[in-house]
Amino acid sequence: MTPGSVLADEPLVRWDWVGDHLRYIWNLLVQHLELTFIAVGIGFAIAFVLALIALQWRPVYTPVNAVTGIMYAIPSLALFVLLVPITGLTTLTAEIALVSYTLQILFRSIVAGVDGVPDSVRESAAGMGYTRRRQLWTIELPLAVPVIMSGLRVATVTTVGLVPIAGYLGSDQGGLGQLIFTGLNRFFNTPLLVGAVLTVALAVVLDLTIVSVQRALTPWARRRGAES
Amino acid sequence: MTDPEPAVGPEHQPGTVSQPEHAADSMIELAHVGKIFPGSARPAVGDLSFVVPEGEIAVLIGPSGCGKSTTLRMINRLIEPTSGTITVAGRDVHAVPAHELRLGIGYVIQQAGLFPHRTIAQNIGTVPRLLGWDKQRVGGRVDELMELVGLEQDLAERYPSELSGGQQQRVGVARALAADPPVLLMDEPFGAVDPIVRARLQGELLSLQQRLHKTILFVTHDIDEAIRLGDRMAVLNVGGVLEQYGPPTEVLAAPASEFVVEFLGAERGLKRLSLIPVSEAKLDPGPVVASSSSTSDARAVLDRERSDWVVVVDDGRLLGWVGEADLGPGTGRVGDAPVRPFAIRLRRQATLREALDTLISSPNRVAVVVDDDDRYLGLLDVTRIGDEIETVDP
Repeated sequence: MTPGSVLADEPLVRWDWVGDHLRYIWNLLVQHLELTFIAVGIGFAIAFVLALIALQWRPVYTPVNAVTGIMYAIPSLALFVLLVPITGLTTLTAEIALVSYTLQILFRSIVAGVDGVPDSVRESAAGMGYTRRRQLWTIELPLAVPVIMSGLRVATVTTVGLVPIAGYLGSDQGGLGQLIFTGLNRFFNTPLLVGAVLTVALAVVLDLTIVSVQRALTPWARRRGAES
Repeated sequence: MTDPEPAVGPEHQPGTVSQPEHAADSMIELAHVGKIFPGSARPAVGDLSFVVPEGEIAVLIGPSGCGKSTTLRMINRLIEPTSGTITVAGRDVHAVPAHELRLGIGYVIQQAGLFPHRTIAQNIGTVPRLLGWDKQRVGGRVDELMELVGLEQDLAERYPSELSGGQQQRVGVARALAADPPVLLMDEPFGAVDPIVRARLQGELLSLQQRLHKTILFVTHDIDEAIRLGDRMAVLNVGGVLEQYGPPTEVLAAPASEFVVEFLGAERGLKRLSLIPVSEAKLDPGPVVASSSSTSDARAVLDRERSDWVVVVDDGRLLGWVGEADLGPGTGRVGDAPVRPFAIRLRRQATLREALDTLISSPNRVAVVVDDDDRYLGLLDVTRIGDEIETVDP
């Protein structure tokens, strides 16, 4: 049974429904943002600590990369099924799943960013009398910002796209995913389209925001070759 | 200092025999230094001992694999030696933590190694900031250094990627000099810039050194750079074996081994000429008369010297030369005859190589040498330069 046959009788978007549910849609958008921020924030914090350990102690890299890779590979619905018996139909369940998807990309981008610092920079920093710690925090990590930020973009956009799936966990979960599920369950075009379009728009806006933050943080990478 | 024990504390008493006599003038001292990298059977540096006196530029040179960079990096402990002792300014480099040691030693590397995310001013101020100087003092020092190395003030707020290779290298030198360290380590600093810029940077380094009198250890694989910059050069063979250590003129005139001969290359004699100022060559006093002399005196000089022209001086200052035909038959003064300028006129600081180059690319067979006040010093020709070359190959 395809929903399309039923939906065909409806106009594509019923604007009166949208007008009546503005507050509801706004709340879902805010929840979507919250779920994304919490997931990416916690994911970044965990990945950052793991990356610092791996940078200090190289043998850690391979197992961390493998474990986070497996986490990334588990289908999201399957992960919810696994977690529900333990953590229930809660935001915690949603966040555990969402965080686990951000870890590998963030971990790898932080390590790659620091590894990408030119040897000549590292050597001159050490040769001038930087301590290892100070060199990492004031030279290597700032220079890794462009690579770290590109990882952050991927993680954020991915998370925005995954949040709706958490709508399976109940009517108080999944942010804009609620609109999508409502539309699918009731063969009702309008919320489905509103949910999908706003999710995409949110991903685009967050992506552009991160790009502009990165540009603000790395003026040195922008003015390259300005002088002939 | 034959004690192979590297673990010497700050209270380590200097060796009683060699230390006191070196203490006054040796700034960097390596004693039986060796380095074997883990997993390597052959030492990267064998048993290396040499001393760099205070205020001199010593150049480490040799083929790749000779351990010249390794040696340099052992001095600021970017690489830890496996044996031997290194002292800088009379103090064992292991007496303080590595990062503290490095704050007191300037370090310049190839491609400058500037911090891309910091402005030129911030880059130059790196070590003073690490030392905890206040903002104002750092700022003043940065301005001073930019001036010293010839960087325009408006570059201060630029980022390194906006500068040319030569400018970046100047920033690298300024940054190394920022906290006024007595010792500079330079690891092929001019290796990545084109030959014209390199020659200019070398000249600038030499003039900086005339003012600052730092003790500089300089690594290069460019023999001409070593000859030009070094007060002394250490020629290293593969495995960090010191083949010869001495002033470039000495190394070029008397290579200590077959390896050094080969390494110096075919133009050893010519290279040596580039180190000798014309004032040090045996100049020909030549036929010379004062402009106030009578023409008959001048003719007497021409007869005696079997020459058909004569140098004319006025109170020691060079005026030019007069040909026999121009002296005329009369009895006037030499200064009344038409005095012609010399085609090739060399200052006393010019090198014999420059003199040779000028002589062979000009139809004239003779150059006149003057001092800074244009006082006549003598004449120089290809034969006399040839005599200097001959002293190289006995």
